[in-house]
Amino acid sequence: MTWTLIIGMATITYINRYFFFARSIAYRPGPHAQRLLSYSSYAVLTAIWAPIVFEFDGIHEVDLAGLDYLIATSLAAALSFLRINSLIVVLASTAVFFLIRFV
Amino acid sequence: MTNSDRSSLTPKLAWLAFVDMLPLCLAVLPWGVLTGALAVQAGFSVAQSQALSLLVFAGAAQLSAITFFAAGTAYGAIFASTFVISARHLLYSLTFRQHIAQESWLTRVALAFLLTDEMFAVSEAHTKRSGAFSVRYALVSGLFFYIAWNVATAIGIALATLGQNADSLGLDSLGLEFAIVATFIAMTFGELRRFPVLVAIVISGSVAVFSKPFFSDSYIIFAAVSGMIAAYFCDRSDVSTGVEVKPEQVL
Repeated sequence: MTWTLIIGMATITYINRYFFFARSIAYRPGPHAQRLLSYSSYAVLTAIWAPIVFEFDGIHEVDLAGLDYLIATSLAAALSFLRINSLIVVLASTAVFFLIRFV
Repeated sequence: MTNSDRSSLTPKLAWLAFVDMLPLCLAVLPWGVLTGALAVQAGFSVAQSQALSLLVFAGAAQLSAITFFAAGTAYGAIFASTFVISARHLLYSLTFRQHIAQESWLTRVALAFLLTDEMFAVSEAHTKRSGAFSVRYALVSGLFFYIAWNVATAIGIALATLGQNADSLGLDSLGLEFAIVATFIAMTFGELRRFPVLVAIVISGSVAVFSKPFFSDSYIIFAAVSGMIAAYFCDRSDVSTGVEVKPEQVL
C-alpha cells in the first residue's frame, strides 16, 4: 500500500512537469502570454528565497532569520545589482555569511 | 527569447552546467539528508525511502508527505497536497514550452523528469546569459542535481538506519540554505534596473513572505503569479517588437 502512495505522488509530480511539454496540448503562448512568462523566473525565484530571510509570524511581525542573513543577503543583492559575475556573488556572500555565523 | 541552441554537448557546456548547479547542490544536501532520515523514521522501508527521492524527486512535496504519512493521513489528502505543492512546475513547463517544441519525445520526457526549481533557475540564467536555451545544458544541470539529491537522501537513510535521530543531526541550524538565497539573488538582481523586473521581485517577494503562514502549500505559485501579473502591467514596451515605448519610465 505504501508503494501506491509513492507511485501516486511520482505520477502527480511528473504530470505537473510534463504537462506543457506534451504535443497534444494545443495551447501556444501568444505574445502577451510570452511577456507574462518572461517574468516567471524573477517572480518564482524571489518567492522561494524571500521567506528564508524574512519570516512573517502571521499576525503583525516580520522577523529576520538573523543578522548574518541580513548582511550577506544585502551584499549579494548589491553585488548582483552591479552585475558582478554570479559565481563571485555566491562565493563572496556565502563566505561572509559563514564568517559572521561561525567566527 | 524563442532561440534554442540545439548544438551537441561539449565538455565546456557540461562543466558550466556543473559549476552553475554546484552551490544549489550543496544547499540542498541537509534537506536531502533530513528527507531520507525522516522517511525511515516515519515508517517507510529503506527501498521506499530512496524511491521517494528517485521517483517523486520533489523536496517540499516529499517532506510534507512524510509528515502526513507519519500522522496516518489518508492518501487522497496527501495526493492533493502533492499536487498543490508541485503545481509551480506547470509554470516551468509552460515557460520552457517554446524552447523544446522541436525536441524528440524522449528528450522531452527526460527533461520533464529532471525539471526542478533549481534546474529551471540555472537554465533560465543560462538562456539570458548566452541568448539561447540549451536543452543539453538543462539536462546536465538537472541530472547533476538529481544525483546530489539522491546521494543526500541515501546518507540520511543510512544515518537513520544506524539509529541516528534526524533532529539530533542539527542540519537545519547549519545555514546551508543561504546558498539558495545567494544563488537566486545572483540570477535575478542584475536586471533590477528594468522597472517591470523590480516590480516582479518586490511583489512576489512580499506576497510570499506575507502569505506563507496562511498557504504553506501554495504560497510560492500564488506569489509568483502575482509578481508576474504586476510586472506584465508595468511593461510599457511594444508587445510585438519588444521596443520600449517610454524609455524614461525605465529605471
